[in-house]
Amino acid sequence: MTTRKTVFVDTSLCTGCKACSVACKAWNDLPAEENKLIKGYQSQVETTSKTWTYVRFVEKYENNKMNFMMLKLQCFHCKDPACMKACSSEAIYQTESGYTLINQDKCIGCGYCAANCPWEIPKVDPDLNKTFKCTGCIDRVENNLKPACVSTCQPGALHFGERKEMIQVAKARLAEVKKEHPKAQLYGDKAMGGTTYLYLLLDDPKVYEMPVDPSTPVSLTLWKDIIHPLGGIAAGAAAIAIAGGVIANAARGNYRAKREAKNTDTDSDQGISS
Amino acid sequence: MKNKEVYRFTAGGRFVHWSHAVSFLLLLFTGLGVLSVIFQPWMSIFGGIQVTRNIHRIVAVFFTVVVILGFIIGDGGKQLRRWVKDVVSFDKDDFAHAKNFPIEFFGGHKPFPPQGKFNGGEKINSAITLIGMLCMGITGYIMWFAWAFPQWLVQWCYPIHAGFALLLTALLIAHFYLGVLHPDSNQALKGMINGWIPSQFAYEHYEEWYLNEVKDVKEREVV
Repeated sequence: MTTRKTVFVDTSLCTGCKACSVACKAWNDLPAEENKLIKGYQSQVETTSKTWTYVRFVEKYENNKMNFMMLKLQCFHCKDPACMKACSSEAIYQTESGYTLINQDKCIGCGYCAANCPWEIPKVDPDLNKTFKCTGCIDRVENNLKPACVSTCQPGALHFGERKEMIQVAKARLAEVKKEHPKAQLYGDKAMGGTTYLYLLLDDPKVYEMPVDPSTPVSLTLWKDIIHPLGGIAAGAAAIAIAGGVIANAARGNYRAKREAKNTDTDSDQGISS
Repeated sequence: MKNKEVYRFTAGGRFVHWSHAVSFLLLLFTGLGVLSVIFQPWMSIFGGIQVTRNIHRIVAVFFTVVVILGFIIGDGGKQLRRWVKDVVSFDKDDFAHAKNFPIEFFGGHKPFPPQGKFNGGEKINSAITLIGMLCMGITGYIMWFAWAFPQWLVQWCYPIHAGFALLLTALLIAHFYLGVLHPDSNQALKGMINGWIPSQFAYEHYEEWYLNEVKDVKEREVV
């Protein structure tokens, strides 16, 4: 039986070496992209269709002391993925091992997933009109290998294993890290039904420029669960109504009868001959 | 009144109407592929969904240009602007007409107060069409140029675009019925083809308009 896997991202141990990003490119055959320095060590603004994971650098100053925080970002592989709900083409699916994947044969590149992801992770490739994001190295993890990013991580900030086990590891690390970073917290243990990439953050998610309470957009629920069925009913009802209209008119003989003057019994009709 | 016709729609107005009709059908068909996966195989009629996506955008631009110019240029523009003004002024006489709509729809009849150029039912259809197309256009362009807008705005465009697409489709079905299949109201179709409708029909359906605005002025004998 396939069990749910989890990658535990321990940001307290991350040194920002970006090896995960490189390993991801190597394993997944992704080309290098032209980058420029944004700020500090930051050279990547966001995920792209060719860069599925990158490190975000946060410099937080408190009492004249700089706290340098690093965060590896990629698809979180939600238990309840908003992207899958938004997909126009039934191209997004989930595995029992806990991964949210895109079937490239079905993907049409509409971008609905990209617009509805709380972390804006999936990206449409403008040349291919297909959407790409981290696959969690599904080809590796389902063959008893660690994901490329995990296997390359030198400081040991990334752990891969059974979900239950990883949650235990995460909780133990949290207790340890809290001594030095009182605001430290787990991220992804509950959000979006529990994400396969589980984080230990040293501070509030806001500090990392991440949504504090990631959730399925209200507009998406309204769209797929209410407007679609209601709209379908409205169009169907209109079709039934006109069929009924034709039948009713035929039954009344309106199609055959010579047209008689109508609406001539109001007061203003006096004096008008037809 | 017998054997007479009155002039109802100018060439400009008719052009915008039929441009809208063709654009709407094309936009609807090419949009079905992203509305539901069920319709995706149909997209191959136009060469696949990547082609229908482009057709959707080209037709959208065409339609936007036609509507903007249509409202500005000449007699047609004047008539369209007047149409909007009429729709906005919806009064109790319009309501008295519109509330009998279901009876008329199924071939019955109940007297209603004299109506202006557009009766109550037509005004409701027009209002939904105007609001609907405005919303479709705005949300459509936002989704097309999503990179230029905040994520929450793009997210809200999806339900609005899909919702109005379905609502306008329902409206189109009813509009098609009344214009083509309904034994009484389908006489109005002539007005959208050559611009003229039977005077008798005009008197019965738009009494106020017929008596005060077009009788004799824009009326001709039918040979």
